[in-house]
Amino acid sequence: MENKVLRGKAWVFGDDIDTDLIYHNKYLAETDPRKMPQYSFEYLPGKENFAKEVKEGDFVVAGTNFGCGSSREHAVYCLKYAGVPVILAESFSRIYYRNAINNGYPVLFVKGLSQAIKDGKIKDGDDLEVDLEKGEIRDLTNGNSFHGDAVADLEMDIMKAGGLIEYLKEKAASK
Amino acid sequence: MGKTMIEKIIRRAAGKEVKVGERVWCNIDLSTARDFGGANCVLQFEEVTDKKGKVWDPDKVAFTFDLQAPSHSEKVSTNQKIIREFAKKQGIKKVFDVDWGIGQHVLLENGLVKPGDVILGTDSHMNLLGAVGAFATGVGNTDIVASWFEGTNWFRVPETMKITVNGKFAKGVCMRDLLTHIVGTLGADGMFFLSTEFYGDTIERSSLSDRITLCSMVTEMSGKIGLIMPNGKVLDWLVERAGKEVVDRVKSLSADPDAVYCQELEFNVDNLEPMTSCPDAPDNVKKVREVAGEHVDQVHIGSCSNGRFEDISAAFEVLKASKSKVAPGMRAIITPATREVMLQCAEAGYIQKFLEAGVIFTNPTCALCTAEHYGALPSGDVGMSTTNRNFIGKVGKGSHTYLASPMTAMATAIRGKITDPRDILG
Repeated sequence: MENKVLRGKAWVFGDDIDTDLIYHNKYLAETDPRKMPQYSFEYLPGKENFAKEVKEGDFVVAGTNFGCGSSREHAVYCLKYAGVPVILAESFSRIYYRNAINNGYPVLFVKGLSQAIKDGKIKDGDDLEVDLEKGEIRDLTNGNSFHGDAVADLEMDIMKAGGLIEYLKEKAASK
Repeated sequence: MGKTMIEKIIRRAAGKEVKVGERVWCNIDLSTARDFGGANCVLQFEEVTDKKGKVWDPDKVAFTFDLQAPSHSEKVSTNQKIIREFAKKQGIKKVFDVDWGIGQHVLLENGLVKPGDVILGTDSHMNLLGAVGAFATGVGNTDIVASWFEGTNWFRVPETMKITVNGKFAKGVCMRDLLTHIVGTLGADGMFFLSTEFYGDTIERSSLSDRITLCSMVTEMSGKIGLIMPNGKVLDWLVERAGKEVVDRVKSLSADPDAVYCQELEFNVDNLEPMTSCPDAPDNVKKVREVAGEHVDQVHIGSCSNGRFEDISAAFEVLKASKSKVAPGMRAIITPATREVMLQCAEAGYIQKFLEAGVIFTNPTCALCTAEHYGALPSGDVGMSTTNRNFIGKVGKGSHTYLASPMTAMATAIRGKITDPRDILG
């Protein structure tokens, strides 16, 4: 993970965004992660244009339990390879969380984000500045700020290695 | 201080004492992948090992073909072929091809699951194997590939919730209704990352089929695993399939009387009514009575949650009591969980009766858990299903689905509108 301040537009989602909404089961037969972004959020009403309009560096901002539902890793790849540098959510579902960590894909746990989204304190299209290392999130459009916690413990070690496979390879090499 | 089931299971798998919250590396007893996710695993494994990798133990790797079985497209057929060829190359014998049925059920029926086993699979409902005390969990392809290196993977030791259920279901009410009630009460993240142990006289008397229903829906509350240690007939059934070691495992892995729980809940089912998850979320729960009369275009009975013989029998009882057929214009689909279940249905004479009543009785598969198999709904249509999810557009863009018990689903198929099964069963 690079220590730098990221800047991009916010794509804002609610609570319990499930994996069928992130990456629909219609496209599960796809095996090439780099072809997955074109299907992102196709089945989520109001966000059908995400895949076409998302720009590298844009953020996904969500409430609680992001990624609930299926075990499909497609739902992580489709955002990672769309160039979304980090997902900001109040909480992540268990399998989605594992899948992100295992790919060295950063996630931040942001307390109060679910309510802030409901209250309109962070909106679609807002210009965000995110300091990954410090967990500081500033909404430059309206001046609101949030704090996110990065992963800890073993998960941080896996993230630093770049993912679970890389972590295990390093572990094997150091034996 | 006493230990919960999951603490004992992870202690066994990690080979050391563990405490809640700790991250530990566990030995994996069985690492499985399906036709969905399986090809992704194989291609990733070949890529990261330069096609030179060997899975750590071919006897502890299994493949099941269930999501799109038999295949409906060239792309899926190719994915399935990738898995077959990899299995052959690696000497993996446990390949349950498109004729077998839903993965976890097939593994269970084939004696490959024991209490305390740590099992991985590319299926978020792997954890239904908690119905026999196994710690099975759904994971993505990277977790599977990682486990193939040395047969290990990492886990956080979860806190445990204890749910006690007492009482007897009234006629027309069953375990699925209890579960729907629990999902409605606790919500989509009500078991967030937790292990849940189920106790009480309702659970002790329950069939394996009912326990599977209960444990499968833990996923819909964001739980890690639901656990029930086998007793009575379930224990006998499992010993017959998986061997006598099962008995020792039950003894050594049952929770201590002074185990520490983060939350304890009690439910009584004596006065429970048929329940349904309304569109478009499993936790949007109402009594069937409250939505009775709503139009439904298609009914589906099956899935890893409610596709066993007991579930199909319950639907058959409703059909028999109705002395009627599927309503005109209604599409009613029944999908047994496995070939074994389908054979039981054939032997009981159900299949003929269902066909005569206008039901589409299919081969064993996951069926409507993916819109890309048969039964996808067109925009504007309303379905009722015994599957476990009804998220927006899951079985077709612009469609909506109610989740309910096999009895409610069958009653609805017969009347063509949402129907409380007690209206037919009397």
